[in-house]
Amino acid sequence: MKVVILGSSAAALSAAEEFRRHDEQSDVTLISPEEGLPYSKVLLPYVLRGKIPYQGLTIRESDYFTRLNLRYVQGEAARLEEAEHRLILKDGTVCSYDKLLIATGARASTPNIPGIQDSRVCYMRTKEDLDHMMPLLHPGARVAVIGSGFVALQAAWAARFRGLPVTVLGHRIMPSAMDEAGAEVVAQAIRDSGVELLAPVHTKSIEPGPDGGLRICLEEGLWVDADVILVGAGVKPNTEFLAGSGILVEKGIPVNGKMQTSHPDVYAAGDVAAGPTVFGEEHVLHSLWPTAVEMGRVAGGQMAGVDLPYDGSLNMNVTQMFHVTVASVGKFRQQDVDECVVLPEELGYGRLCVFGKDGVLCGATLIGGSEGVSFLGKLRPLIARHQPMTRHPQELGDYVNKQVFARNWEEGQPG
Amino acid sequence: MKMVTVTPEKCVGCHDCEMACAFAQSGDSCDRRWSNIHVSVSTPDRFVMPVTCFHCARAWCMEVCPARAISRNEETGAVVIDPLRCAGCKMCILACPYGNIRFDAQKLVSRKCDLCGGDPECVKHCISGALNYEEIDKLAERKQNMFGYKLVRMGNGGEETSHE
Repeated sequence: MKVVILGSSAAALSAAEEFRRHDEQSDVTLISPEEGLPYSKVLLPYVLRGKIPYQGLTIRESDYFTRLNLRYVQGEAARLEEAEHRLILKDGTVCSYDKLLIATGARASTPNIPGIQDSRVCYMRTKEDLDHMMPLLHPGARVAVIGSGFVALQAAWAARFRGLPVTVLGHRIMPSAMDEAGAEVVAQAIRDSGVELLAPVHTKSIEPGPDGGLRICLEEGLWVDADVILVGAGVKPNTEFLAGSGILVEKGIPVNGKMQTSHPDVYAAGDVAAGPTVFGEEHVLHSLWPTAVEMGRVAGGQMAGVDLPYDGSLNMNVTQMFHVTVASVGKFRQQDVDECVVLPEELGYGRLCVFGKDGVLCGATLIGGSEGVSFLGKLRPLIARHQPMTRHPQELGDYVNKQVFARNWEEGQPG
Repeated sequence: MKMVTVTPEKCVGCHDCEMACAFAQSGDSCDRRWSNIHVSVSTPDRFVMPVTCFHCARAWCMEVCPARAISRNEETGAVVIDPLRCAGCKMCILACPYGNIRFDAQKLVSRKCDLCGGDPECVKHCISGALNYEEIDKLAERKQNMFGYKLVRMGNGGEETSHE
């Protein structure tokens, strides 16, 4: 059997590794436009602020492909001819396959702002982006960040950590990773770190600045001068090559619980794929590393003919920024929840909120430290199993811990 | 593979395992905050239970680590964190459903049980026989005899949760 995997990040690697657990013989080829060994996008802000060295981005050893008997081709898909089970690359190479996994990921969105096509406007999505950005962030460089989501704020924090003056121009703080009230707390932490936060504001245009820099003009009539602009405006799934292939593409590629697309021999996983969640939603784009790992594993198993149990993904998010740990799991936005329990401060978790919907646990957010993250970790399986919400804040901590013990008893120690 | 196993009904809650672990980890302190094993105590339930890493066969922390800082030691089977690769993102702490990964606030990296390289200090210092370092197949046998134990008042309004 011939397996082709498009991609070389979380979902692709996880799929290849899972496939090899069950099938050592079949021919497996990974195709990706990226040069060199696989690296981790999650680590880009950590390299940017000097927490880990540049080489730390690389997440597979130099003998990885030979050891797992995988073929690696640097290339990019141009067209898929599903009826013939073949893929045409941009350089004209034709690859036939029996099973195909699309793990092409997503790229940084470019907002429609006049003047944004400038070499001093940077993104934080790829190693190339980082290489491009690093020399621009020299001491004294004024940094403006367009966006206030998870990635934009990580970039802002990294620039601030390097001692640069930073202005953030955004809307709602981390809409996909923090509840509304928590966003206000994060906003305060951002300001306390010496970052100028302007939100909500709308960027109208980017013009040449009076001092050779750039001037960001806002709809609100204000402007901000900067030497470097970092943009974090979400991501866009890489699906263009599927035009005319017959593979159903919506906001990403919808997949079922086996990671199959609308064509059974074509699978999709990771940031390009919209899969089922533990909340019963059919097709949700998470664009999260852990979800990509999970989806890749399921797809890899399926391509090898192994049906791994999969109940859908449960979003999880954690990062260090502005001297706090920000983490979240599941659902926490006003429209998705009807109950919120704030854990007592004296438990030492920081600001930890647990959310419920229809009497069932559905999510949690944290602005605090690692003990709180650990609590969210223990809470996560309870959310996935739709356990009842406990209404008394004092009991909730106890409840979660005891559920962990109970599982140890019930299921025994995992072996 | 050998594992640290826990027999909660034998545990007397002395916290010696925590202090032994703390000393092994820090090199100069028995401050239990350094420990990677944690004895949970619930006085109203008259219940104590040491909890430490299970070194899961499919370790979610290891799969999810975006820095590939977590791997399995071929000799001991332990799931271990390489502090030089760890970015301190805490993804593993969020991934662990048992709360068995902690954060080293000085080195700013995650830390967890590494089985002390195959000679766990917590077991050596356990005074009651609650902790053992034993082959996993024996554990399966022992689990068979654990039924009948009841954990009362599991939060959630105080109803009894039976594990029979």
